[in-house]
Amino acid sequence: MAAERALAMATCTAPVNIAVIKYWGKRDTDLILPINSSLSVTLHQDQLKTTTTAAASRDFTEDRLWLNGKEADVGHPRVQACLREVRRLARKRRGGAEDTAALSLSYKIHIASENNFPTAAGLASSAAGYACLVSALARLYGLEEELSEVARRGSGSACRSMFGGFVQWQRGERPDGTDSLALQVAPETHWPELRVLILVVSGEKKPVGSTAGMQTSVETSPLLKHRAEVVVPERLAQMMQHIQERDFEGFGQLAMRDSNQFHATCLDTFPPIFYLTDVSRHIIALAHRYNAHHGHTKVAYTFDAGPNAVVFALADAVAEFVEVVRRSFPPAANGDQFVRGLPVGSAALPQELLAAVVTEPVPGAVQYILHTKPGPGPQRVDDPSQHLLGTDGLPRSRA
Amino acid sequence: GKPHTDLILPINSSLSVTLHQDQLKTTTTAAASRDFTEDRLWLNGKEADVGHPRVQACLREVRRLARKRRGGAEDTAALSLSYKIHIASENNFPTAAGLASSAAGYACLVSALARLYGLEEELSEVARRGSGSACRSMFGGFVQWQRGERPDGTDSLALQVAPETHWPELRVLILVVSGEKKPVGSTAGMQTSVETSPLLKHRAEVVVPERLAQMMQHIQERDFEGFGQLAMRDSNQFHATCLDTFPPIFYLTDVSRHIIALAHRYNAHHGHTKV
Repeated sequence: MAAERALAMATCTAPVNIAVIKYWGKRDTDLILPINSSLSVTLHQDQLKTTTTAAASRDFTEDRLWLNGKEADVGHPRVQACLREVRRLARKRRGGAEDTAALSLSYKIHIASENNFPTAAGLASSAAGYACLVSALARLYGLEEELSEVARRGSGSACRSMFGGFVQWQRGERPDGTDSLALQVAPETHWPELRVLILVVSGEKKPVGSTAGMQTSVETSPLLKHRAEVVVPERLAQMMQHIQERDFEGFGQLAMRDSNQFHATCLDTFPPIFYLTDVSRHIIALAHRYNAHHGHTKVAYTFDAGPNAVVFALADAVAEFVEVVRRSFPPAANGDQFVRGLPVGSAALPQELLAAVVTEPVPGAVQYILHTKPGPGPQRVDDPSQHLLGTDGLPRSRA
Repeated sequence: GKPHTDLILPINSSLSVTLHQDQLKTTTTAAASRDFTEDRLWLNGKEADVGHPRVQACLREVRRLARKRRGGAEDTAALSLSYKIHIASENNFPTAAGLASSAAGYACLVSALARLYGLEEELSEVARRGSGSACRSMFGGFVQWQRGERPDGTDSLALQVAPETHWPELRVLILVVSGEKKPVGSTAGMQTSVETSPLLKHRAEVVVPERLAQMMQHIQERDFEGFGQLAMRDSNQFHATCLDTFPPIFYLTDVSRHIIALAHRYNAHHGHTKV
């Protein structure tokens, strides 16, 4: 008779994603169903990723959760929702047949999760976190089906982190949310020249949380309603076409417009929500001056519900624009730590570009730039030395 | 925003509060003489371009109305419409404060010219040709600028919703902020908004008509809670459409946001809308 497994452990990594057609507002807050579809770019895990280890053992006495080494509340409704859904799918898969080789669904779970980027940077992403949690749990229970629907129950945008490249979260129509899921529009290899620069800004106050914020927007903003019903459906189709055609001009302009419109609906919320700061405005104005100087769209900004700017560019524009940012937001001391991630070549700026574009330097406003690019979806980690939990089920102290 | 830039016809109606001239006013003198050799204009003591299209539009319209009034009959007692005009205008507040208002300026110009030519009829339509919001400065108290439907703009004019005596307890505090960069001009800004913002279109067609009716009711009923909330929402929505413009227009700064947040905290503390 095969013995039940005593301890099972699975580790996965999952990516961050940045929406270019924004999600803001739910039509169902429990199932996390959005009022409009959204479209995102998955970022490369070499620069940004969450790693999650999930372990189950008959020796565990209770479910436990650690985030970046600190124990957290495993009873959090969103965590529980994901756990419940994965177990439900696992149970369904087994079809009631007693499978003694399978991991018992009654065992308690230990989960540890870590980001490879600092939480204080404001990049910490519930999307990567929940996508990783769901991926690790699914691996633990031997599930291989469509899981974006489960990730969505943790955090809406987490469903988009279940795929690499360019991803759409389809709004869905059903009240039970079974058709509200993500699908890949194009793989991460589709647009090799596309690059992403994240401008991490300095020491801003913690902004209004997304969940509460978007709820207030849905309740109070007439413009948001119009955006969701009329504007986004058209834009989604346009954006997919720009991506298919690798049309940076179209992609960039639409990304900037949609970022601005999202923030416009935040301003149309009552009380109003402000995620854009004076620094954000400087970055926006800089991008427009830079593009105007070159006569076409070379960089495109997008801002989420926080102060950091995400700037898209093609590879051949990166070096020059990074130098423009360095001159426009001169770093205080850490000159050599100002650019991180993928390497950036050097660029000399012509005098006329300097005069036209670098017009209002704001020293110290940008902490650093993270250079990355589109990347793959969640990955399995097979190297046992990479598990975040030891065989005792507790977080391993990592050197 | 305006669909027709020459006649200055708006995409939606608007409603305003006229402020007291003891604190903010424009004074304008208009003179005509057969001895003047050319039209001239001085603003706050400095000579300005009298050929400015908006100034000329007002001048033309006032003269047209004067001519119409005379019905072609030669009235030797009336001031000759062929005389050149000298105009001087002054504000009782500093231009640098950013309060300088084309509304007050054109309303004053039109009023002075009308007085010069002996006109007494509805003039908000003429003031509108100088600057849209100037038509609302042709009345005191609470004023509506009706959008109008006609392409020739003859039904796009202002009317008083309630006199300045209607709400004696109402006060206005203008917080003049320090040394900000000169913002994007309204004329160019709103044109870009009309051309690029889908949200503005929806605002003009659907949201404002409802809000106008609500606002007039709040004013009639002296309902400060309703008036205040709707005023804040509409201010925010206007700025939202500026942000939805491409390239985006930012009139609100970090200081503006601080003031907004302060107002909300103050009202929350008191449990109702006090500011």
